Amino acid sequence: MTVIVQKIKSIQWQHLVFILLIAAMAIGSDGCKTTGKMSKKERKAQIELAKKQLTEIINGTSTRPLEAQERTVNEIANKHFKDPELDKMIEDARQVLKKAFAEKEKQKQEQVDAARAELLDMLLNKDDKSADELEAELAKIKAMNLGNKDINDLIAKVEQKIAGMRNKKNVPLKNQLENSFQGIADASKSGNANQVLSLTRNTLQLFSSEDATVLIIISREGSIVDYDKPTTIKRYLEFVRDQKASRNAVDSYQLDGGGKIKELDLIKK
Amino acid sequence: MKIRSSVIGLICLLILTSGLLAQNKDENISPQRKQAIDSLALEKVRDLSKYISIIGNKSTPWSESQRVIERAVELFMENSEIGVSSLSKPDVAYFKVREYFDRLMKLNYDRVNIDWYKIQYVSDLERQPDGTYVGVITIYQRFQGFDKEKGLIYEDTTKKDITVYVKRKETQIGGRLIGFWDVLLGDIRVKETSK
Repeated sequence: MTVIVQKIKSIQWQHLVFILLIAAMAIGSDGCKTTGKMSKKERKAQIELAKKQLTEIINGTSTRPLEAQERTVNEIANKHFKDPELDKMIEDARQVLKKAFAEKEKQKQEQVDAARAELLDMLLNKDDKSADELEAELAKIKAMNLGNKDINDLIAKVEQKIAGMRNKKNVPLKNQLENSFQGIADASKSGNANQVLSLTRNTLQLFSSEDATVLIIISREGSIVDYDKPTTIKRYLEFVRDQKASRNAVDSYQLDGGGKIKELDLIKK
Repeated sequence: MKIRSSVIGLICLLILTSGLLAQNKDENISPQRKQAIDSLALEKVRDLSKYISIIGNKSTPWSESQRVIERAVELFMENSEIGVSSLSKPDVAYFKVREYFDRLMKLNYDRVNIDWYKIQYVSDLERQPDGTYVGVITIYQRFQGFDKEKGLIYEDTTKKDITVYVKRKETQIGGRLIGFWDVLLGDIRVKETSK
């Protein structure tokens, strides 16, 4: 044991460290040589890959998003392969992407314009759409995620309008009906066929069916009530449209289990 | 015994009286009710005038005209006729209601204006033995036919008499007995035609 210890102590550590250092440098330089040979192959492979990627971009066959394609072109350019053909392709790809971005921007602007027009229509609601119909249309526009401030402001306004319309449902049914009848008469008078149809559709939704009975009181004297010939709500709304006048007020109505009107009594104004 | 026969007599009297009253209810209607029926019949004639304008209007779509013709036909008694006159012909032609409306829809003008005015009773509604009220309403019809290039090419004014039949009917709706007045129009007779 003491012999071993003496031998270890006798080793000149400075020499050993020096030898190890030389050996490490030799190994290191040999490794570099190997890498240099590989990088040529790798460079060639990378250029081929880059050309393939650029060809897809130039031909417009890449399915990746434009932003990802742009990143690829920049990454290829940053590698500075100094390959004239590749450099030309980089330039071409950049031109193609520039056009594509411009086209995309144009399309987005068109979408924004269309959405703006649609939202303004919804605010005016000339076709007298129901709150549910407006909400469904609004959902489609929101799903486009246009990220435009004007559009977002308009969306907020339409949402407010829809909320207002829903609150309107608290208006007594009698008033809702009379307003609808008058609205149909006025729209028919002004020749607005779309509004007539829309109001008719919305009014019919208040009834259990379009065959719900409508009775029109022409005279009431004590217990004696005289009616016009019974009709249905569908026919009555057509009548209001044809005559361009709403001559009767709501006297009473009966609802079914679902809260829809199953029988309506009107009275001459 | 006397009391018993008196009670039976009283019951019989009550039944008889209530029957007479019920009959009277329909026979002698109050002036207010009669006025309501008069107005209803006049209103039906006004409704018809609107239907005629729609059917005659060249811009009314065919399907819409057909629907309105159905509504207009429903205003009339079966087999009723409508008279048609012209300044160029001395005779008045009479057509069944549906045929009249079909012809009206196909009139050979580019544009047609038909207005009814001075709609009023010439003979008040009178109760007939069968309970039907019959009256005559007179109207004036202004007809104008236009050509696209020449403009107004024909116009006349016709006075027409419309017989009106009104009958009280009853129907059961939702467990309720509803008494309604069924107004039906009869023939429309041409009385005079002028420029």
